[in-house]
Amino acid sequence: MALVCAAALAACSSGSSHANATGELNVWARGSNDSPKAYQAVFAGFTAKTGIKVKLFMTLTDFETKLSAAATSHHLPDVVVDDAAQLGNFETQGIIQEIDKSKIAGADQLNAHAWDAAKDLKGRYQAIPYSVQANVLLIRKDWLAKVGMKPPKTWDDVMKVAKAFTTQDPDGDGKADTYGLTVPGSTKRGYISWYWSSLLWQAGGDYFSGGNGKFKATVNSDQAVASVRYFENMFCGKPKVVQPSSLNDTTAETNKAFQTGVTGMYFTGPYAYATMDATAVKGKYIVVAPPAGPANAQTLAEGTDIYLMAGGKTGEGQKLAEYMISADAQKVGMTKVPSATIVRLPVNSTINAADAHAGDDRWALAQTVYQRSGHFENISMPNWTALRQATSEALNALVASCGDPKPAMDKLNDKLNTILKQQGVAG
Amino acid sequence: VTTSLRTQPVASQVRVAHPRHRLRAKATWLPWAFLAPALAFFAVFKFWPVIWGAYLSFFHVRPYLGNEWAGTANFTRAFNDPDLRAAVWHTVLDAVVSVAGSMLVGFLLALLLESPARGVRILRTAVFLPAVTAMVAIAELWGALLFPGRYGAVNSLIGTVGLGPEPFLTNTHSALWTVMLIQIWKTAPYDMVIFIAGLVGIDRQLYEAASIDGAGVWSRLRRVTIPSLRPITTIVLTLGIIRGLRVFTEINVLTNGGPGGATETVVTSTYKAATVNNDAGYASAVSTLLLVATVLLTSLTLWWRNRTEAT
Repeated sequence: MALVCAAALAACSSGSSHANATGELNVWARGSNDSPKAYQAVFAGFTAKTGIKVKLFMTLTDFETKLSAAATSHHLPDVVVDDAAQLGNFETQGIIQEIDKSKIAGADQLNAHAWDAAKDLKGRYQAIPYSVQANVLLIRKDWLAKVGMKPPKTWDDVMKVAKAFTTQDPDGDGKADTYGLTVPGSTKRGYISWYWSSLLWQAGGDYFSGGNGKFKATVNSDQAVASVRYFENMFCGKPKVVQPSSLNDTTAETNKAFQTGVTGMYFTGPYAYATMDATAVKGKYIVVAPPAGPANAQTLAEGTDIYLMAGGKTGEGQKLAEYMISADAQKVGMTKVPSATIVRLPVNSTINAADAHAGDDRWALAQTVYQRSGHFENISMPNWTALRQATSEALNALVASCGDPKPAMDKLNDKLNTILKQQGVAG
Repeated sequence: VTTSLRTQPVASQVRVAHPRHRLRAKATWLPWAFLAPALAFFAVFKFWPVIWGAYLSFFHVRPYLGNEWAGTANFTRAFNDPDLRAAVWHTVLDAVVSVAGSMLVGFLLALLLESPARGVRILRTAVFLPAVTAMVAIAELWGALLFPGRYGAVNSLIGTVGLGPEPFLTNTHSALWTVMLIQIWKTAPYDMVIFIAGLVGIDRQLYEAASIDGAGVWSRLRRVTIPSLRPITTIVLTLGIIRGLRVFTEINVLTNGGPGGATETVVTSTYKAATVNNDAGYASAVSTLLLVATVLLTSLTLWWRNRTEAT
């Protein structure tokens, strides 16, 4: 009797381990609304091609917190699709595997800029890029016509247009209820620093100097302070040209402000096209390249990466990644679900973004802007999130109190140096 | 006196029916048996996390790679963190003002709505509604009402009389006060219910005696009502302090600690340390300190109560 039981148990356990080896691939992706549909479409193609089934879990809120919980119990998913900005953070936690770029089929088809952003501080690849984007400027063309101005090309132009939008009643309702710029000024997920980063680079500044794992904060340089002064003026100048709730707003609120005609300019990623076109503002706005600052017209570049998780099914995970970066799968990610462009700009350089989007020129512009002036944040730092959070809190406090930028940035600089030290990369 | 006279014979009958030792044995395990399900629940979901959190306070927590011993480093950091110090100040200010405000408003509401008349009962239920509504829903609702532009509901209302627009939650000077008003709006009805229970328990003869002695409304309130409510006040105060020190939901929803850190409290900054900065060890240390502070404050309140009761 005991023998039968033992045999049955053995059969049972060997059966389940067999299922584990070739069974479903556990994939987590950060996103909401229609994004799951888009990912399912991509994964359906993968399953059809390889026979490997994919089990998808998606959430937008507290994605990384849930991942931490999974790490604590040592039950990580096999593959994670998340912001490129998590790269250093994931590596520090030891939850991702290093990527051997030479062994990834199709790696040579991906654009070099995106691959660079997937490197850690020591130059090792820690992720496979899946989607990239760079911020562009959305402007209400009917409002421009009303105030008789042209799309802005420089910082000064932006301020002039913003003031006109705020004071000249561009919606013609007789009330002073419009504002020039939409700024997500909340500290949540570092939104305010996310917005300011482009201005910092456009002024010729940067977050850090150094390299080879040794960095110094440089956010109190003359250029950085100049960018903060310009930024603060949006909130504290006369008139105030940003939406009144800005300091507590994240993209949910700023999207609404632009959609409902509260604000006339919105500096954001090309994923906003789909969001905006689903509302009444469709057709009323144009998209232009980021206006230039004193130094250049660099703009925030971001990406979505595919991470192969520690302890996961590496072989199958890599196969999935190879499929996801193929030209066909990238196109599916771009266009299959119009309301969820999970691939914003393709990382696969054989694809033309505008062609894939039925000749939509706005995507061609986004692609050019990304290639010419896209600038990633310092996402390979051991914990960029902590640095970003400190920056956000300092900026939010400064523009809330309309204080003097120089001492505030000196203080932030010290704080960033302290955090760099805590992360073991101060030098 | 009458109650004790009535129950005494029953108790002696029980003693006659059961041998003394059996009763005592039964009496010791029976309450625990009834308490067991709740205790098991608390052990798993309250006591164990508290102990585990205190343990983690001494580590640099790395969920996947394994924790590193950090000694008292997390505590040292907590005592030297200027941001945490600001958060503690906001928390204390928020707790004092919102607890005192809720008690005052709750007490006034209780006086107004104590009557057992039918109409008043409906009114009382209506007033009580905020207390049973989820804080997240309330915060979202007030967030929308207090929208800072001219098109915000409250701002368009005060705009009709020529005021505003007020920034409410988006200004460093007004944000915390706005949060306090929302907290008072939510918790005053809760305090009201406890106060009503206290008011109902006051012996009517005391009021009658006071009236005969020539006491007016104000004197009766000051000499009879308020002293009689002292035990109830302690309960309301204790609950308020505990609630006040761990304020989180409304701030996380409404301001996320902003603008400019003006509404950052101990729990919101702890939450950020754990979830944004991935520093669960530090977050645990701060939480443990908060627990100690709460226990001390609560004990102090109880001690104060016992002392004033005795005198």
